[in-house]
Amino acid sequence: MKSTGTVNIVPSITGVVDAEAGRDMQLSREEMLRYSRHLLIPEVGMTGQKKLKAAKVLIIGAGGLGSPAGMYLAAAGVGTIGLVDFDVVDVTNLQRQLLHSTDDIGRSKLDSARETLAGINPHIAIETYEERLTSKNALNIFAGYDVIVDGTDNFPTRYLVNDACVLLGKPNVYGSILRFDGQVSVFDARRGPCYRCLYPAPPPPGLVPSCAEGGVLGILPGIIGTLQALEVLKLILGEGEPLIGRFILFDALKFAFRELKLRKDPACPVCGQAPTIHELIDYEQFCGVKSPLAAEAIDEQTEITVEQLKMRIDRGDNLCVLDVREPHEYDIANIGAQLIPLSELPKRFHEIDSSKEIIVHCKVGSRSARAAEFLRKKGFQKVKNLVGGIDAWSERIDARVPHY
Amino acid sequence: MIRVVLPYHLRTLAQSDAEVQIAVAGAVTICSVLDALETHYPMLRGTIRDHVTQQRRPFLRFFACGEDFSLESSDIELPPKIVSGEEPFLIIGAIAGG
Ligand SMILES: [Zn+2]
Repeated sequence: MKSTGTVNIVPSITGVVDAEAGRDMQLSREEMLRYSRHLLIPEVGMTGQKKLKAAKVLIIGAGGLGSPAGMYLAAAGVGTIGLVDFDVVDVTNLQRQLLHSTDDIGRSKLDSARETLAGINPHIAIETYEERLTSKNALNIFAGYDVIVDGTDNFPTRYLVNDACVLLGKPNVYGSILRFDGQVSVFDARRGPCYRCLYPAPPPPGLVPSCAEGGVLGILPGIIGTLQALEVLKLILGEGEPLIGRFILFDALKFAFRELKLRKDPACPVCGQAPTIHELIDYEQFCGVKSPLAAEAIDEQTEITVEQLKMRIDRGDNLCVLDVREPHEYDIANIGAQLIPLSELPKRFHEIDSSKEIIVHCKVGSRSARAAEFLRKKGFQKVKNLVGGIDAWSERIDARVPHY
Repeated sequence: MIRVVLPYHLRTLAQSDAEVQIAVAGAVTICSVLDALETHYPMLRGTIRDHVTQQRRPFLRFFACGEDFSLESSDIELPPKIVSGEEPFLIIGAIAGG
């Protein structure tokens, strides 16, 4: 224990898997050979390897973080691995999502993931849930697992995963990434803080970019997802010091890890002393984002679709199309719009011709929504956000505009 | 000089590096550090603390020397290593990429 001048009371570490369940497991001769390097370590040994075989781990998202986490957990002999995802493999995934190969483009991510994991280790069971994780299905899916790994890519699902774990009393092995930055922790409300203790509310939509908008170094999820796998193994084995109440920041550019102490918030709405959240809520609403089902319905006053914009450009409407992405993104793909990055808008908005109707766009539509709101506050009367951004334009109007 | 580490979305806004250095006059507290930061980077006003209530935004947290200062009073003095610039004051932001 580090000397911090205070007395740390470390909760006694017991594995998340019932010791009995591990004892009932048998390893075949083939498995013993496969796991021989584990069997040599006393902290794992035969007892630990049987615990791993008895363990059930659910991974949310078969993407950047889910890839290394799933692959290492499969290789380590975790007996049951569940995967939740509903996406298909896209060429832009392959820079970091090692579960999937070039030949898998267009396939369901879960089909591809199942094949990869079974290839790594045929002795394990792989359960797949090809659906969006929602407040309706989360508790049912989570109930059958010992540990949940959060490798999702959006705020609503992160709060959903957290709350479901708190309500069911399961550890949430958390990792998230952006560009060169990674964050890792183990949220276990029975023994420490939860995700809401740390961030009681999400950033407004569009403020903090996703990897699709802001980018991510492909190797970063490899590092962070592997650290998540490490914490899962320790929880199952009941060995070492788990990252409960500790928050790790990784800065890939500096190669710097920082460890920060986290405390449980007594006022936490889900794990505090007087919780107000007793069941799963509407997480899209909580995070201020439109539910995917409602995403098609646009607000005619403030939004415009790419089809509508194309039609209005073609008929010669007097529009000012404003691109609020960064210059390096403009270089990759543009539709000839006036470029003022969102970050420069506060000091450059007077460059915009206020006599025209303004259509603001970015990559997928969230930065431009903020820009449009800003311009309205500055007195611009007719401002519309291009729903789906240049991505939608590339996909539905002009395939010559590169998709990135 | 006080070192302050900013989360990615604030770096873009301030058009700064991940770490910025600022001079703070008088006692070095969360409040005085943030005031000095906002004087240097006026575009950060309202992004770390609410414009009106001056409350920390709930998706950001403050750390100093490994300890969480987010729930502390903004008037308490920060540790000597922050004052001397040996350690940075961290503003950590929620990210959700996976
Ligand atoms: Zn909590």
